[in-house]
Amino acid sequence: MTHTRYSGYARALDTAARTATPIAQLTLTEPGLDRAGALEIQRLLMEERYMRGERRIGLKLGLTSVAKMRQVGVNEVIWGRLTDAMLFHDAAELAFSAYIHPRAEPEIAFILKRSLPADASLSETALAIEAVLPAIEIIDSRYENFVFSEADVIADNCSAAAVVLGNPVAPRDVGNLGMVMRLDGRVAQLGSSAAILGHPLRALLRAARLAADAGEPLQPGDIVLAGAAMAAEPLRPGAYVSVEVQDLGRVGFTVSGETP
Amino acid sequence: MPFSKDHIYAAATRLLAAAATKTPCAPIRDLLGPDAIDDAYAVQQQLVREYLAAGRRQVGHKIGLTALSVQKALGVDRPDFGILLDDMAFPEGAEIAFDHIMQPKVEAEIAFVLGRDLPKEGTTLADVIRATDYVLPALEIVGSRIENWDIRIADTIADNASSGAFVLGAYPRTLTSIDLQLCGMVIERRGEPVSTGVGMACLGSPLNAVAWLARTMVRHGTPLRAGDIVLSGALGPMVNVTAGDFFEARIEGLGSVSVGFSA
Repeated sequence: MTHTRYSGYARALDTAARTATPIAQLTLTEPGLDRAGALEIQRLLMEERYMRGERRIGLKLGLTSVAKMRQVGVNEVIWGRLTDAMLFHDAAELAFSAYIHPRAEPEIAFILKRSLPADASLSETALAIEAVLPAIEIIDSRYENFVFSEADVIADNCSAAAVVLGNPVAPRDVGNLGMVMRLDGRVAQLGSSAAILGHPLRALLRAARLAADAGEPLQPGDIVLAGAAMAAEPLRPGAYVSVEVQDLGRVGFTVSGETP
Repeated sequence: MPFSKDHIYAAATRLLAAAATKTPCAPIRDLLGPDAIDDAYAVQQQLVREYLAAGRRQVGHKIGLTALSVQKALGVDRPDFGILLDDMAFPEGAEIAFDHIMQPKVEAEIAFVLGRDLPKEGTTLADVIRATDYVLPALEIVGSRIENWDIRIADTIADNASSGAFVLGAYPRTLTSIDLQLCGMVIERRGEPVSTGVGMACLGSPLNAVAWLARTMVRHGTPLRAGDIVLSGALGPMVNVTAGDFFEARIEGLGSVSVGFSA
């Protein structure tokens, strides 16, 4: 019974994403939905996408800022899967109409050259990195008004919608790199990568454990988004969004559509 | 009150009494008006005159309100400055008595130490770069003599820009070796980040803040001099201090600086 209900939720979330039409929070009809149940819905949702031919390319972490965790009263990060259909590169154009209420977050991405077991140490994790990249994640909650509980957002693949990657650079210490996000050239958000769990490498360590626990350990070539260092900015048609990270360079994209 | 200085003395007296008794006072804006910037600097000068007469020595300046968000919150369109005195300086890693600074908060900044005077009216970025001997990471401990930090622009300027104490890192770097705009900043308390930021958060670059100060001090008739320390402004949000706290600030490319507060 539970499985049938969960499959229904997964399909509803998938349809919401495909048609850019928001739905009501799952926890309104399923108030008892817990983290495990939400992860199961996310898994079923991803099955829908894989059946359409999408391929898993890595994962993203959310709630990686200590301040944010305390604010929502949890001390565990949340995570979602990335697929090839979500992947864009520097100077890409993203269609505004493909999303419901998209927001951009400045991030640091890792590309792995080795697999990582659940019990990977911090040094193993560091040595598994092939490259680091400046990145912008586009999050887009499939729920009305971007309002959700922790279980809701986990079921919704942690609002993952797209990721724009900059150019890879050789691994280096990314513990405290200055970051700036600009909208149409103007400064919108300022911060440091230290806001990501104190060091983005700690996020990668957690990603390795979470992925292995879910039975899909991180593999060579996987992309991991370490989490946002600053607040997200809403996108609007016609906008040019860029993120510059100390020592890593810049990544940017435009949003297609008429400026309203 | 254009022809009398009484309100200036009254405001200075209130702030001096608060500092001397370590008892926060009511805002002084009732005496000056909330936006009376010139009068507020006159109060600050009066305070500093008293401090110098008591044997303290001026060692530099601090720049405040360098974040656009903070300027907006106070309804101003420019930074402010205060005077640094010799006894505000504490060594790297110092333990400061918790009650030494009233209502303390910490923020991480870049300190400039000048190797030349900056006497020109239209001081540019280039002049500042040329005059900078070296830079250091710094922690500023701001404080307020005004109860509950209930400040408007006149209150903070009069209160010596809410200055308290400062700690300089002990490893000088030259300007050419660091990225002042994109340097990441983090303040940690027991290994946990409690404030993060970046060089650009200070007026687009700490150099802009120092250039502003240099021009402003020329207008005030007391130009910046070789040897002066300039705390150029916070790179991220300030952090409330609780007795027993210990903070470490790191600025990427500049190193670290730390300070503690007795329990």
